Amino acid sequence: MTENAIELKNLTKKFGDFTAVDKLSLDIKENEIFGFLGPNGAGKSTTIRMLCTLSTPTSGSAKVAGYDLIKDSAKVREKIGLVAEKMIMYDKLTAAENLRFFGKLYAIPKQKLEDKIDELLELVNMQEWKHTQISKFSTGMKQRINVIRALLPEPEIIFMDEPTLGLDPQTTFSIRDITRDINKSDVTVILTTHAMIEAEALSDRIAIIDHGKIAALDTPQNLKNLIAESDTSVFGAKITNLTPKLIGKINSLDVVAAVAQQDDHNLKISANGTDALNQIIDVIRLEGGNIASITNSNDSTLEDVFLAVTGKTIRDQANEKAAPTHHRHGQAPKARIR
Amino acid sequence: MIPMDIIKTLKDSYHVMIKDMIELKRNRVELVTLAIMPLLFLVIFGFIYPSGNSHDNIQMGLVNLDQGAGSNEFIAQMETMNKQIESTTKNSSYMSFNNYSSVDAAKTAINQGKIHGAFVIPPGFSNNVTNGQPGNIIIYVDNSNPQVAASIEQVSSGTVSGLNGVLAENNVLKLGNAANQQINPQAVIAPYTPNIVTTIPGANNYLNFLAPGLMIMIGMMAVMIGIPEAFSKEKETGTFDGMLSAPINHLSVLLGKTMALSVRGLLQCIFVLAFAVLLFGVTIQGSLLLAFFMVILGIFSFIGIGIMAVSLAGDQSTGTMIMNLLMFPFMFLGGIFFPISQMPWIMQEISKLIPLTYAADAMRKIMLLNANVADVSTDIIILLAFGIITMAIALPLFSRSMKQ
Repeated sequence: MTENAIELKNLTKKFGDFTAVDKLSLDIKENEIFGFLGPNGAGKSTTIRMLCTLSTPTSGSAKVAGYDLIKDSAKVREKIGLVAEKMIMYDKLTAAENLRFFGKLYAIPKQKLEDKIDELLELVNMQEWKHTQISKFSTGMKQRINVIRALLPEPEIIFMDEPTLGLDPQTTFSIRDITRDINKSDVTVILTTHAMIEAEALSDRIAIIDHGKIAALDTPQNLKNLIAESDTSVFGAKITNLTPKLIGKINSLDVVAAVAQQDDHNLKISANGTDALNQIIDVIRLEGGNIASITNSNDSTLEDVFLAVTGKTIRDQANEKAAPTHHRHGQAPKARIR
Repeated sequence: MIPMDIIKTLKDSYHVMIKDMIELKRNRVELVTLAIMPLLFLVIFGFIYPSGNSHDNIQMGLVNLDQGAGSNEFIAQMETMNKQIESTTKNSSYMSFNNYSSVDAAKTAINQGKIHGAFVIPPGFSNNVTNGQPGNIIIYVDNSNPQVAASIEQVSSGTVSGLNGVLAENNVLKLGNAANQQINPQAVIAPYTPNIVTTIPGANNYLNFLAPGLMIMIGMMAVMIGIPEAFSKEKETGTFDGMLSAPINHLSVLLGKTMALSVRGLLQCIFVLAFAVLLFGVTIQGSLLLAFFMVILGIFSFIGIGIMAVSLAGDQSTGTMIMNLLMFPFMFLGGIFFPISQMPWIMQEISKLIPLTYAADAMRKIMLLNANVADVSTDIIILLAFGIITMAIALPLFSRSMKQ
């Protein structure tokens, strides 16, 4: 195997005028868990789809498991496993029938396939459901089958697109455990998620991706340190009489990079410079805002990093999906961070 | 492509087909629909088709303004003939007569829908007949129902010419007796007698005409509706990604799904045939083997169109819409329900562009006329060509649509 599991060079995907993935270049090391973090429509899934040969890049190139994505797509498909967001399974078939069908497509010898099916069902503790139709399964059970389906051909690289989306906490934890187990058996894991905690809990390295570009790329800890080391700080402000006008005023300050409303009273503000907090408090008071509390945690979370580099919270994702080329909030703070 | 690849592609197609068949087997509603649809088609299209003598007990008005011996005899004869037909062919009469006192009363009854037509015997009818003048009868018909009107015209003129015949026969016999000559009255009245003989035994039966075409049409529908449905369903549920990210040739997905749909189409053809033979007394003269070969060839010729639709449409509803758009002219211009030779010339030209026309034609020749392969070779060549050409256009479109 090559040293890098995946190498992207200026990988680009356009849908008409809309650029979903914009000249993405990065290397993913062998045997790491690599997380793509970003809101919906940021280009995570499109990237994964291209790397799984499901979508042809508009331009640029990539190597997956040492094979050229376009020229050797058949070879690439032999080396990868896909855990897609839309679960890949047939409701009318039993767990075993589903696994058997896909196993046959990988030309796994019959006996080996049967052994593998049993082994994988055991891995996710679902032996007794082997001959039950998928339609009778809960979402969590389906997702376990969805994950082990990708493991059938013993891939070198496994892609997991939002693997814990919509799962209960218990299943989420168990899927994360399985993911770590998979990784321990020398499988490179590429993960997409918009859940900060997930990216942080699993990934060796994280690429924060927005508008098809990498906004930041590092280990979770280094990403968090970025905030501590830069002159960017993220405040939480609780204002009892919060109005859209007030938010607008805060946003118009030069020192403020981004403002994100958390709920009826709470704001997250990303700002630059040592005088930033003073100016923010001044403008809130001037506008008649009633400050209940200000929090400035030194122990910044990945969510703060996300706000700082993309200028939005994950909450913005709904708007993001509706209007992919929507305005950017404030001026781009990325330049300062990197 | 090296042989190993071909074997792998075929194997994968087989796996996909088996998978699709298991899915179908587990879907009870779909299975039942599969069996009921052919039956429904046979019953509906077999019975709604207006075939000249399908009307029984047509309610007719009778207005006798003459009330003479001649008119009474005419009415008596008409009722006898009506009953004669009744006793020989079926359990009911062609017409039932209702007496009305005036033409206006009969017309009102027609307008009210109580009767479909009326015989009016004008005053002086008896006098005319006895004096050697022509006895005119007026027949009113309900124009709002052309089928019944045509039927009445047919039955009435048949009845009247029958009566004329009886009268003429008597007259000829009288003349013959008067001249002391042995005469066959029929030879004098109707010197030309057609004898209708068919090349195959059995009576003309609309379902005989319908069943072979219906078999092909149902096979066609299974594929044409099935392809967009099968592909879009997998695309939308995401299972397609599972197959396409596996190391298989994309063609095997296409091949496997098409094979599963063809099996389904064949199953439905067998249902059509079974229902037609068991329930509707359809008779088969030709080779069943050749018939099913024709069905498979027919299905093959539609696959390309189905793939084109699914490749161009992108989602299920659009794909199904395109297919419905195509199927409508196919159904009615392909000569399944109405013989193409009865269509206006422009429709005949259009029908020549439709593969179903050739498939249905060949199918009828095989099943009804016991035609052999050589007899339908033109149809076979056209269908093969149609299938190959459409497939050649469709496959690149399909490959492209798989990787948007």
